[in-house]
Amino acid sequence: MNHFDYFKPQSLEEVWDLGKKFPGAQYIAGGTDLMVKIKNRTIMPQTLISLRSVSGLPGIEIGEKVRIGALTTITDLIEHQELGRIFPVLVQAAKRIGSPQIRNVGTVGGNLCNCSPCADTALALLILDARVVLRNSRGSREIALEEFFIGPGESCLRSGELMTEIRLDKPASKARAIFMKKGRVKMDLAVASVGVLLEMEGDTCKKARFAAGSVAPVPLRLKKVEALFKNAVISKEIIQEAQKIAVNSISPISDIRSSADYRHEIVGVYVKRAVEKLLGNE
Amino acid sequence: MKKQINFVLNGFEVAVAVEAHQRLIDVLRGSLGHTGTKEGCGEGECGACTVIVDGRAINSCLYPALEAEGKSITTIEGLRSIDNRLSVIQQAFVERGGIQCGFCTPGMIMSTKALLDQNPDPTEEEIRDALVGNLCRCTGYVQIIESVKSAAEKLKG
Amino acid sequence: MVKGKPSTDFLYIGKEISRPEAPDKAAGKALYIHDLQRPGMLYGKIKFSDHAHARILHIDTSRAEKLPGVKAVITAYNTPEVRIGFLRDNFALKKGKVRQFRDEVAAVAAIDPGIATEAIELIKVEYEPLPGVFSPAHAAKEGAPLVHETDPQGQPRVDNRVPLRFFHESGDLDAGKKMARYVVEGEYSTQWVQQTCMGTAGCIAEFDMNSNLTIWAKTQIPFLAQRDFNDALSAMGLQGKNSRVIVPVLGGGFGTGLDTHAYEYIAILLAFRTGKPVKIVYTRDEEFANLSPRQSSQTKILQGCDENGKLTFRHVEVVQDNGAYTSWGATYPSVMMLPATSLYKVNNVYFNADLYYTNNTYSQAMRGYGNPEHTWALENNIDELAEKAGIDPFEFRMINCNEPGEITPMNLKVSTCGLKECLETVAAKLDWKNSHSQGKCRGVGMASLFHVGGGGRIYRSDGSGLILKLDDFGNVYAYYGGVEMGQGLHSVLSLGIAESLGVRPGKVFINQTDTGTCPWDVGTHASRGAFMACNAAIKAAKDLREKIFSGAEELFPEGVAKNLKKFQEKNPGYQPPDFDIKKAATRDRFDLKDGYVFIKDAPKEPWLCMELGSLLRAMHFRDQGTMLGTQVFYDPPNELPDWNKGKGNISATYAYGTQGVEVEVDTETGEVKILRMVAAHDVGKVLNPQALKGQIYGALAQGIGYALYEEVRSQNGRIMNPNFRDYKIPTIQEMDFPIDLEFIETNDSYGPFGAKGVGEPGLVPTAPAIANAIYNAVGIRIRDLPVTPGKILSALKSKTPVEQ
Repeated sequence: MNHFDYFKPQSLEEVWDLGKKFPGAQYIAGGTDLMVKIKNRTIMPQTLISLRSVSGLPGIEIGEKVRIGALTTITDLIEHQELGRIFPVLVQAAKRIGSPQIRNVGTVGGNLCNCSPCADTALALLILDARVVLRNSRGSREIALEEFFIGPGESCLRSGELMTEIRLDKPASKARAIFMKKGRVKMDLAVASVGVLLEMEGDTCKKARFAAGSVAPVPLRLKKVEALFKNAVISKEIIQEAQKIAVNSISPISDIRSSADYRHEIVGVYVKRAVEKLLGNE
Repeated sequence: MKKQINFVLNGFEVAVAVEAHQRLIDVLRGSLGHTGTKEGCGEGECGACTVIVDGRAINSCLYPALEAEGKSITTIEGLRSIDNRLSVIQQAFVERGGIQCGFCTPGMIMSTKALLDQNPDPTEEEIRDALVGNLCRCTGYVQIIESVKSAAEKLKG
Repeated sequence: MVKGKPSTDFLYIGKEISRPEAPDKAAGKALYIHDLQRPGMLYGKIKFSDHAHARILHIDTSRAEKLPGVKAVITAYNTPEVRIGFLRDNFALKKGKVRQFRDEVAAVAAIDPGIATEAIELIKVEYEPLPGVFSPAHAAKEGAPLVHETDPQGQPRVDNRVPLRFFHESGDLDAGKKMARYVVEGEYSTQWVQQTCMGTAGCIAEFDMNSNLTIWAKTQIPFLAQRDFNDALSAMGLQGKNSRVIVPVLGGGFGTGLDTHAYEYIAILLAFRTGKPVKIVYTRDEEFANLSPRQSSQTKILQGCDENGKLTFRHVEVVQDNGAYTSWGATYPSVMMLPATSLYKVNNVYFNADLYYTNNTYSQAMRGYGNPEHTWALENNIDELAEKAGIDPFEFRMINCNEPGEITPMNLKVSTCGLKECLETVAAKLDWKNSHSQGKCRGVGMASLFHVGGGGRIYRSDGSGLILKLDDFGNVYAYYGGVEMGQGLHSVLSLGIAESLGVRPGKVFINQTDTGTCPWDVGTHASRGAFMACNAAIKAAKDLREKIFSGAEELFPEGVAKNLKKFQEKNPGYQPPDFDIKKAATRDRFDLKDGYVFIKDAPKEPWLCMELGSLLRAMHFRDQGTMLGTQVFYDPPNELPDWNKGKGNISATYAYGTQGVEVEVDTETGEVKILRMVAAHDVGKVLNPQALKGQIYGALAQGIGYALYEEVRSQNGRIMNPNFRDYKIPTIQEMDFPIDLEFIETNDSYGPFGAKGVGEPGLVPTAPAIANAIYNAVGIRIRDLPVTPGKILSALKSKTPVEQ
């Protein structure tokens, strides 16, 4: 068993102090990803700094803007009534993460910082144009979630930086979104997943967001599909074209879970079905 | 180096010395001698290690022991009543065939308790959602669902 | 739910009674191998190979030995050679070369598991990699690398063939082929799947100071294990010393405990080296990577029927990947022969199996033991043949349906057979004619099974012993060598004892399975548990009742006289009826029911019976007193087949069943949604409805995983998915469709209370039923398990479009 030191700072100042004392220390939130990596000796940290007791990190604030504390558990996010009313797709995606046991301790921030191309909430947050706030002892910065993911397991977090919150603008009232995930069984990492947000005015699409998961090194915005939809009158042909573009935009690999070919198929089918569902003509 | 933590276990205050790298399951099964909670995979996939912390079902194989400080934790041992009788949920599993080899049972029952404490009248879909993180290789789950439904009926009065 | 002859008035058999050990399991009190501790116990860990095939050049254990807390480090080079496996081609620790990633190269015993793990990492092994073979096709090629250069006798090998023969030929195959109007040939394959017991494998080995071994083992064969471990003790220089095998509560079995394992011998070697108890328990990833899975298979079937749909011949060839060593996977063809020769009537049968060593993992028993593998091929092929002949698949099966009293080509003597009722039940419940033609990507399929139901003689004895001991209080203590692994054996045994003896189930206590106290039993496999246990119980109860009634002859009259006195004190004025008790008190007129001894034809007065305990105390506490007990050995009327000829009535009776499935296929994603399942099983007699249903539901779930997504993925000998993240078994969400169970009671004369074995049949026909349903739904047939959405989608794309 890997032996490590474990600290539970109560404030960010304490976090920075510990970071100075133990360079190379890793942050741990819910631990549902990290503890597995430690058990498998994928990583072997000497020191863990727990963020669970740091004040101000969990919590959801709904005002002009919406702020979700990074240490908010997935369950707390799902159970937040008002958040669910404003962003049903976020709750829809969050419900597909693991099991109740995982969701009860896993956190929104932790899920994102794990940088898995499969991350379910990442897709929902991408199509909601989420931004994230990153802090270290020297200050903070806010970036689009899109820019946060660099590669599988790799984010743009600098040394000592942690994610403190996720920021969202309330969507337009006409916006509707959907998240679809394919696993080998119901509780599974995604073989492929798709998130779509459409803001329609009659037959015309005013705003479109498309994202795909498990089919690229990072959760991927499908910008070419979005460009196709913007200000377009949505027809069967446009949807077929969107499928083609989506399939060509992704670069899935064949791995233990699925083949690249199959992932291509699923993304195409899900893009079509997601749009049809949102437009009410399934 | 060991650190002392204090928490409430099955209604009683406990103080136990733990190593920083230990998981809650190590402490429960080790120094606290509560072997009812089982380790089936160590990766949070099978749910055999499920216990309830502050009302929520969690995988004790992924839960750092030091995080137990100040919490209220319930394990399968906490469900028995003082006169050595089984709780309603446990009795329902016994009566409805929800138990075969029994290895998944403590975790399955704890997830059931967490569900019924929050939602006393679950639909079958809600029962499936609540127990999706508890794997069973013996029963095919049908009699487990019947056990949960029976327990819910009895608890409602 | 239950069709057939009505139940006679059994008190406990057939009733909903919960398991006696369930309360302890519900309370978390049951002690599995993981929970057991022995004073001074050390923890063992094994170092496995880094290569699929390599020479061992050097093992450096020096750093591991120096680690504080490490008490012993062993390799094949500092321990006596211990050969294992029924072909003796395996070793507890490997010397000279490694033949698979699972090879045990070294082992450590330390004061805690963490130190043991660290020590393993400090052991450095130098290898010279060798080219490997990873498929039977490659292994069979001339000039392929040899997995074993010599045989167990030291003679050089010339190829990778495993020296086992499974061959059957009956009737006249050429004539059969000539008579066939329609013939279908197909090649089918099945994958490795893991048993994935929730409780992983493990043991604790401990020597006493007389060098006798006690081993707590996760085993289904305590007595054969005792024999194996005694052989190991001899190899260790401990000739004449004994092993005692104790079976703790098992976290599942499914066949994993039917062989002894290298880790058990390693624990024994470590326990002897250190003089301390040593526990080895596999973590989940160790279990996935190193515990033998279900055998994979490749089957070629050629089957033909005449213009009326009657089968005229069946030609079967099986090839198996034996892996690097031989365990029970190698004997699956013996069970395959059962459906191959005897499922549906066919007179002219050819069966042959070839096995090849490779550098892949090797396989052991798993529920069904070759039957699911063969039925996969057979029942797919039957549907294909029916289609060619233009006959509905249900009708085709009815045309060729087996009947009671048959003697099959394998010389299996079929006593009862409920196959016809099973087929009809499934067809009716699925509304077959309409469902089979519903279109819209929905379809139904069915498949049947034929399996042993009355033991399976694969060893010199198929017997089962039982000891019953009575105490002064009318309690019955049972010592039985069969193993409870969650299937409900102890439950059914206590009911069988209660019913046949005449006491309440609550007075029956089943002791722990222990070779030191229980009589011999060959092992809990082949669905034999309930059949053997209850037959033994009936035999034992008969003997005990004779002894009880013999004692009652003398002691009953004075016993009831005392009762009468007490009764009259409470009821003054009561006049007892005119009945000569002393005269009536003869052994043939007594009965024992519900714990009370009484005279069968005596007046029903409340004092005119004797509580069993009271009678037993009277027998005990007198001059020349006696205590009662009995020991019996039930050996069923079956025979050990000749596997070179494929003939021999291996079981006392046979189980039949049919399963049906309705599916909907999403043609854009290839996903298969199961809409409902129907399972009709000929069980002889329902002994314990709750346990029986549980067995079928559990087996169906395993059958679904087998059919649709379970697969041990191996690449050049390395298992790529050794965890639950990437080896998916059904969760509660996957079993979200209605399941209709029907039990056909054919009341078999060899079966205890009429019952047949039922532990395995539940998953035998599930996969082909699903495949047949998929074909009915969308017109494609995947012949290689598992039938994944990816395979379905590829097949749909390459097929010409079908009218929806």
